[in-house]
Amino acid sequence: MSLELIKDILLATVPLLVIFPSLFAFTTWMERKALARIQNRIGPNKIGIPCTRIGLFGLGQPAADGIKMIFKEDIVPRGADKLFHLLAPILALIPAMLILCFLPIEFPWGKFMSGKVQAFMLDSAVIFFFAITGLNTLAIFMAGWASRNKYSLLGGMRAVAQMVSYEIPLVLSAVIVVMTVGSLNAEKIAEAQAGFSWFVFSPWGLAAFIVFFIAALAETNRSPFDLPEAESEIIAGYFTEYSGFKFALFFLGEYIAMFAISGLAVTLFLGAGDGPFLAVAPWLSVVWFIAKIFGLIAVMIWLRGTLPRLRVDQLMAFAWKFLLPLSIFNILLAGMSHHVTVAYPGTTAQVVTWTLSLVGMYVMAKGLDKISRSTAKPREYLYAE
Amino acid sequence: MSILGGGIFKGMAVTLRNFVGSYFSKERFITTNEYSWRPESELPQSIGDYPKEEGEQLSDTTTVNHYSRNFPMLLHDTGEPMDTIRCVACQICERECPPQCIYIEKSTEKKENADGKPQFYPAKFDIDVSVCMSCQICVEVCPFDAIVMNSQFELSTPDRFGGLLVRRDGLLKSNDYYHKIHPQEAATRDERMAADKAAKEAKKKAAAEKAKAAAEAKAAAAEAANESKEDTE
Repeated sequence: MSLELIKDILLATVPLLVIFPSLFAFTTWMERKALARIQNRIGPNKIGIPCTRIGLFGLGQPAADGIKMIFKEDIVPRGADKLFHLLAPILALIPAMLILCFLPIEFPWGKFMSGKVQAFMLDSAVIFFFAITGLNTLAIFMAGWASRNKYSLLGGMRAVAQMVSYEIPLVLSAVIVVMTVGSLNAEKIAEAQAGFSWFVFSPWGLAAFIVFFIAALAETNRSPFDLPEAESEIIAGYFTEYSGFKFALFFLGEYIAMFAISGLAVTLFLGAGDGPFLAVAPWLSVVWFIAKIFGLIAVMIWLRGTLPRLRVDQLMAFAWKFLLPLSIFNILLAGMSHHVTVAYPGTTAQVVTWTLSLVGMYVMAKGLDKISRSTAKPREYLYAE
Repeated sequence: MSILGGGIFKGMAVTLRNFVGSYFSKERFITTNEYSWRPESELPQSIGDYPKEEGEQLSDTTTVNHYSRNFPMLLHDTGEPMDTIRCVACQICERECPPQCIYIEKSTEKKENADGKPQFYPAKFDIDVSVCMSCQICVEVCPFDAIVMNSQFELSTPDRFGGLLVRRDGLLKSNDYYHKIHPQEAATRDERMAADKAAKEAKKKAAAEKAKAAAEAKAAAAEAANESKEDTE
């Protein structure tokens, strides 16, 4: 391994390891603050500069939380599988961190690199994204199983069922972008959307983005799909038996996964680093990219403050009976529209196909909703009244 | 025909309104009204400033607002606390307490209460506030309006065993204090107690009158009977 390569790898990875965990700290503060405001509370507002009364809107809260987490006692249940109990939080963090490396963010220090590091220019980046996201499920189930606690196990099993189900609409909605660009390379996808030709601005792109976003919420265990960690039912789900720094790692992994999947959504649908004033200042693309990620995360927080948690059967029905047919229909629509526009170039044909696609998508969604509502049976409880 | 997903947007509009509104209207913060009893200049300015004096956390005015409640306290009427204590150590609250944080020992002999009636009193009345869950069930079951909720919340103590077990004398608070921290609740409670008392007295009076009337009637009847007896003789 040459020195140049090592320098390139360090330049490509170390900033990611610094930037995103610090953004994580900021996001926890943002989330607590936003949720508090939604509930007419103030939220963290005390911890700012130590030993003074300067609160700085509680911006010091993440640091205080971090210090607390590090010094807390690390408790491992007596019956737990110690090795896997230790490995699970680490394994939860690694895939999320790995995905970040593949986001096509053009950092300004990229020009100091002698050439782009090969791994990050992967031609099948999109496939790689989904392959690695799948690892997260394993980590969560590992945590649930190794804890030797029934609530942990229930949480882990819920997580597996949920993540396996929602991975399918997630991938199928990404397929549309891959079809349109004709490449799995993240940078090619970003290039194809330059100049505000973002995929979200097309009917099938919009539909795919919405499906993708919903599935992403479920993939990252965010409310309203936070069944694996449903406090009112199974304590804290798969990390019931985690405390101290291991818990912090899980927390970090969860938020990094949020960043990663939002980054993926931004890459696929929201034009990656594309935005205004890029011709004047190319470095702005980093700012746009991260701003878009934060926009999506803000919507996630907003939804968390709004929606109640789904039931398990509702969750499954939503994935298999609504999102899956919808995304398959969306792929069909996208393919047909593409062929129509190729056969009949011109604005008229495009306007007609776009309107028809929009109407078709809406009617399909409405129909699926109606079918699922009419076929839904009253729930039968086995062990409850 | 409703728009698909319209309910979600409606809900999001509600939360957005609350989010934005919380920055503009102070009235929304009914849940967080911090240190309202203390002027800004008297707030702790830095670490080490607090508590300002010994026992400050048990100051008599530690309240947030009229609706706040924290842990129970025992009420006494105006006068010496132990002479006017309302509690008669009936131990209903001890039995009803879900986390069983109340410990009562009944006195062996009776003592005159505020009304001058001999009653038992609690020789011991301890509440473990580290166990209490502030459910207010003890308040609801008390037939003597002797236990109500206090709103003191600055209860931190360096002694986590003894310091969190509040004894009878620490729990005893005057009815005036209750009026100070929960004016509305105390007023309605006093009103109800007065009404109850009046009703009881009226009933007693009525019963007495009835008894008197009955006695008179009986006497009259006996007299009549006697007279008739005399007649027949």
